[in-house]
Amino acid sequence: MKTTIASARPKRATTGLKLLAAAALAAGALSVGSTAFAAQTQLLETGSTLLYPLFNLWVPVYAKAHPGVRITTQGTGSGTGISEAISGVAQIGASDAYMSNAQMKVHPGMLNIPLAISSQMVNYNVPGLNNKHLNLSGPVLAGIYSGTVKYWDDASIRKLNPGVKLPHKMIVPVHRTDGSGDTFIFSQYLSFSTQSWNQHVGYGTTISWPAVQGGIGAEGNPGMVNACKTTAYCVAYIGISYKNSTEEAKLGEARLQNRAGKFVLPTPETVQTAVQATAAKTPADERISLIFAPGAQSYPIINYEYAIVNSKQPTPQHAMELKKFLSWGISAKGGEASHFMRAVGFVPLPAAIARLSENQVAKIH
Amino acid sequence: MRFRNWLAILAGVLPMSLVVILVFLTVYAWPAIRFNGWGFAFRDMWNLGNLYADSVTSGGVSIQPGAEYGILFLIAGTLLSTLIALMFAIPVGAGAAVFLAEAIPGQLRTWISLFVELLAAIPSVVFGLWGYVVLIPFLGHHVFPFMSSTLDLVPFFGGPPGSGYGLLTAGIVLAMMVVPLITATLRDALVSQPVALKEATIALGATRFEAIRYILLPRTRGVLIGATFLALGRALGETMAVLMVSGNALNYLPQNIYSPISTMAAFIVSQLDSALQDPSGLAVKSLAEIALVLCVISVAVNAAARLMLAAWGRRLSTVEGA
Repeated sequence: MKTTIASARPKRATTGLKLLAAAALAAGALSVGSTAFAAQTQLLETGSTLLYPLFNLWVPVYAKAHPGVRITTQGTGSGTGISEAISGVAQIGASDAYMSNAQMKVHPGMLNIPLAISSQMVNYNVPGLNNKHLNLSGPVLAGIYSGTVKYWDDASIRKLNPGVKLPHKMIVPVHRTDGSGDTFIFSQYLSFSTQSWNQHVGYGTTISWPAVQGGIGAEGNPGMVNACKTTAYCVAYIGISYKNSTEEAKLGEARLQNRAGKFVLPTPETVQTAVQATAAKTPADERISLIFAPGAQSYPIINYEYAIVNSKQPTPQHAMELKKFLSWGISAKGGEASHFMRAVGFVPLPAAIARLSENQVAKIH
Repeated sequence: MRFRNWLAILAGVLPMSLVVILVFLTVYAWPAIRFNGWGFAFRDMWNLGNLYADSVTSGGVSIQPGAEYGILFLIAGTLLSTLIALMFAIPVGAGAAVFLAEAIPGQLRTWISLFVELLAAIPSVVFGLWGYVVLIPFLGHHVFPFMSSTLDLVPFFGGPPGSGYGLLTAGIVLAMMVVPLITATLRDALVSQPVALKEATIALGATRFEAIRYILLPRTRGVLIGATFLALGRALGETMAVLMVSGNALNYLPQNIYSPISTMAAFIVSQLDSALQDPSGLAVKSLAEIALVLCVISVAVNAAARLMLAAWGRRLSTVEGA
């Protein structure tokens, strides 16, 4: 019996029927040349657009060495990743955000398995200053995204950037419209650094953005890059794996103020320093925020990139292939190899965290 | 069973499905309707609450702390973008129809009319993509800055020109989608008018333009109104194209014609995935409440259109009878 995505217990009857029909068709079509594919297991990965470039690097390499499994990848946003991993449509839900306590209570069988460490850039498009690395802080960004800091030459921005000639132009804050782990970590940075933001807005994969005249919403990291490229005087938060795109679009990249008050760029060193400052607190279920780490050289917005996985898989075949793939992903010789990590700007998991992830992978059955 | 009975059942299913949809939406959205109250239509606040906190119970409904739902900005965005679309589409659509019906000779007319009808068959997502790739950079970099500086003192046309994503762009894309609807319908009506009427008018010394302006267009006014309401219905419910060009404004009303907006239909699509993250489930139910509001507005608009047409038809028949 071939295992397909369709056998992953769909939630609703109508979807079930559709998938059943699709499976029947697929089975019919494949039976002609089925010998070659007879044992192939299908795994579907969907979710975070930040993690998507990494999976795109991983999958071809992994598939070459493991012909028995076929992994399909999609970048749909962390929100979709979490919900489709829960519903069973996808076997791996990629997410930059861990599941909330309330969600875990409803779905206790779900695992949040870190695969790598990512960081987030704050980009802007201010003609003439895009090659400059402006300094920005949590409170100033909170002001921009809540509409109290309206112009680029606002006193609070000038104070962070002495000697820089800032234009008197209205700032256009860009936010994500889809449920997004990037929104989660960005709003955590604002919440942890700015009390008023924490009280009035808070953090989450979707938050109620304060009304800012002119502010626009964009879909996915690629949408953020494009919106900022076409919109002069914008500010946007974009995952580090899109650094190539932001450079192509000639966007500026801000230095962010960390907990120690220093302004830093996301580099492998500043991200590594932040990891060392926070990772030791990681609990066994690995749901923890790494945002706003202490240390003079720590970059403030870093996070675990999670594979959200249901510990109970539809078939033993699925469970085995999934465990094999995830173990490969978190092993130093496999997915954590530096050529993968460097290509997307990620940092590999520290050995202790990789062990925790390994323990969680072992729970899949 | 007799053939007649089968037909009766089939014919009954259609009107029933409208009722079923409305009842389903109401029942499903009921907790949200109770929690949101009438303020739902008058507040500018879409807030799922703190998703990382435990659910709390408020007024018998399980919610995330801080949750609040109000969609005034969506209602405004939907109605304003539709209004702008119709303001472009009616004159352009009617003009094109007259041109196609009266000004082009035989064979060419058939071909161009065919193209207009094919235009109506283009999926909306194609218009959206074109708007996103071509229209937004063009309008945002060249047209809007020029408009806002020359029309600075005109209310709603001055002020920050924005980035190209927004109300006017959404209106233009919607207009392009509904123009063929108006043109095709009106052209058919114009062509089917008795030739004798036009000939008589011209024989009396009227120019061809006068014949169109005073005889043909007034006779087809009912068709134009009907086509306009069809267009209105399509514009109100349009989802993908608007989603791609509107700028997805959240929680605020547009301050001028260039401001980002969002519409009810587009918002349901863009927020469904986020709403599914809400462990209390209220967010999805509130989206269903938006669907209900959209349904009610669309049905009301269509009903109003029919009533107007019926009234207009009566007046026309009394005039002709006299």
